[in-house]
Amino acid sequence: MSWLSNIKEGRSRPSLPLSVFGRAAPGAGSPVVLAFLMMPGIIVVAAFFLIPLALVVMRVADGPDGWATYFVILTNGWYFASLVQTLLMSAGVTLTALILCSICGLFLVRNQFAGRSMLTALLTLPLSFPGTVVGFMVIMLAGRQGVIGSVSDAIFGEKLVFAYEISGLFIGYLYFSIPRVILAVMASAEKLDPQLEEAARSLGAPTWRVVKDVILPGLMPGLISSGAICFATAMGAFGTAFTLATDIDVLPMVIYTEFTRNANVAVAAALSIALGAMTWVVLFVVRCFVGNSTDVAPRGGA
Amino acid sequence: MTTQIKLRDCAKTFADGTRALAPFDLTIEGGETIVLLGPSGCGKTTILRMIAGLEFPDKGGVITFDGDDVTHQSIEKRRVGMVFQSYALFPNMTVAQNVAYGLKVHGVSRDESDARVKAMLEMMHIEMLADRAIDQLSGGQRQRVALARAIAVQPRVLLLDEPLTALDAKLRVRLRTEINALLRKLGITAVYVTHDQEEAMALGDRIVVMQKGEIAQIGTPRDIYRKPQNPFVADFVGAANRLDGQMRDGRLHIGNHVFDAVDAFDPRHGAIIDQGPVELFFRADGLSTCDAQDADFTGRVEAVSYLGERLRLTVSGIGPQSVMVDTHADDVIAAGADVHCQINPDRLTIFPAMRERTPAASDAR
Repeated sequence: MSWLSNIKEGRSRPSLPLSVFGRAAPGAGSPVVLAFLMMPGIIVVAAFFLIPLALVVMRVADGPDGWATYFVILTNGWYFASLVQTLLMSAGVTLTALILCSICGLFLVRNQFAGRSMLTALLTLPLSFPGTVVGFMVIMLAGRQGVIGSVSDAIFGEKLVFAYEISGLFIGYLYFSIPRVILAVMASAEKLDPQLEEAARSLGAPTWRVVKDVILPGLMPGLISSGAICFATAMGAFGTAFTLATDIDVLPMVIYTEFTRNANVAVAAALSIALGAMTWVVLFVVRCFVGNSTDVAPRGGA
Repeated sequence: MTTQIKLRDCAKTFADGTRALAPFDLTIEGGETIVLLGPSGCGKTTILRMIAGLEFPDKGGVITFDGDDVTHQSIEKRRVGMVFQSYALFPNMTVAQNVAYGLKVHGVSRDESDARVKAMLEMMHIEMLADRAIDQLSGGQRQRVALARAIAVQPRVLLLDEPLTALDAKLRVRLRTEINALLRKLGITAVYVTHDQEEAMALGDRIVVMQKGEIAQIGTPRDIYRKPQNPFVADFVGAANRLDGQMRDGRLHIGNHVFDAVDAFDPRHGAIIDQGPVELFFRADGLSTCDAQDADFTGRVEAVSYLGERLRLTVSGIGPQSVMVDTHADDVIAAGADVHCQINPDRLTIFPAMRERTPAASDAR
């Protein structure tokens, strides 16, 4: 048996990559070796991120207005309105998803009932759907021939149709975001220490205080990281908007229109940069405000 | 000022049908420290949580605080202070904010709260930690903060659920002494749950020994230690040695030895045991080493542990299992040696033999 355990020990000993990323092991951690090992990563980042980004940034200068094109998003009413609309909708989707998923996630973690795992699986099903499918589903629900329209027609004699406007997009993005947020909330909720809540209650805290002082702070890291992903996705999502209608003025749609139809490459490039920058700034500000949690990984980069 | 707690006919059956607690009555006098002692799964924490208002007794059970029926009152209304094994401090608040939390919830004014927090921190000797984050504290400091937080709201009863279990041995003893002094000083009614009999002895005015959802014995530490009422209690409070014997006409026979004038009293039936097989429980001081001519038994030393003030021998050949015998720390005895032992009859606890030993009694060790 002893030779077997020896082999096991030998395997578990930290090998080269570990000592590179860990604290400098003698010899292995020299800057040259480190740089060499990081080369593939650097090449990928440069080829598929930095270079295209730089090209897009440069492209703006080729437009008729030169570098001033960057201000187009502020000076042109249509662009500015679409920016505000996109921001508001993304923030709205994020907040709604966080609230809904906090309640559902806590409920799912804390209650045992028949069909619980089935329900969880069902809630996470939209993870596999692309935006176009989600858009299609919204049309089936709230489109001209949709279920909601037929029911409201039968009851009130008026067809309720909202799939082709911003509220349809809102529903689609919400549907799209719920699985991601709910999984994060459930992961955080499982880690909550029930004794913290008992301690708060023993000190006289009513339910709303327990939620505010114990449960929310405990869920916060998960809420921030999943909220960031949710927000960034909503800011940049295109498939659903494209499926629903071409005249919803969210920023990705405007970029698409400028680029393909109007061949206004400089403006499209400027809007792209603005979209990325805005998303990044919002996430950065939220992270600064909501605190020091290390879990707030910048995973949501648009 | 102090609160008397009464539990009447309280039983607990969990949703899945498991009987956690058989119906029991328990009265905790105002200002008294009661220790619930028992192995894990014996129901001691369930009783604590019932008093807290985190569990509710089955129908028919009644809990009163000073005569007020609190049976259906939830924990936030009962004014209880809780201290947990895991500390359960709010990680998003500083030490001072943790201690002030209950005061804030109760709407105590800022000035009064500040003064009370300061007094609490001083009482627990942690005033220098007031602005620290919880994750910067050691285990002992955390438990002091937890105590300060629980006491700050002047609860009617302080409930402590294995508060020292997560600490290392030395700190445990020190904090135990501090908690003891604190409970005497405050004169507060306290319920303390532990599986450590030493802790129970040190802290309890009375000890409730629990076994499998039932109260095995209630008594002062001295009673529990010297007069255990059944083999389980004897075993659990440290009388780990066991021998079989026979009572014949009021005399105790162990092997070939006969002991006169042994009081064999069966507490369960309230009768003197005159005849029949008996079980003898005793601690390491129930046997002592002696010269060959005075010996009741001769056994073989299996192992020797040096405990500082004494030497503890594990001796085989006396009973069905090996027994512990203490001797002078200066004695030089090696494993494998023969050793002569004398029995101290007044240190024996005698029970009528049961056909089988309760499994819980052996599990508990």
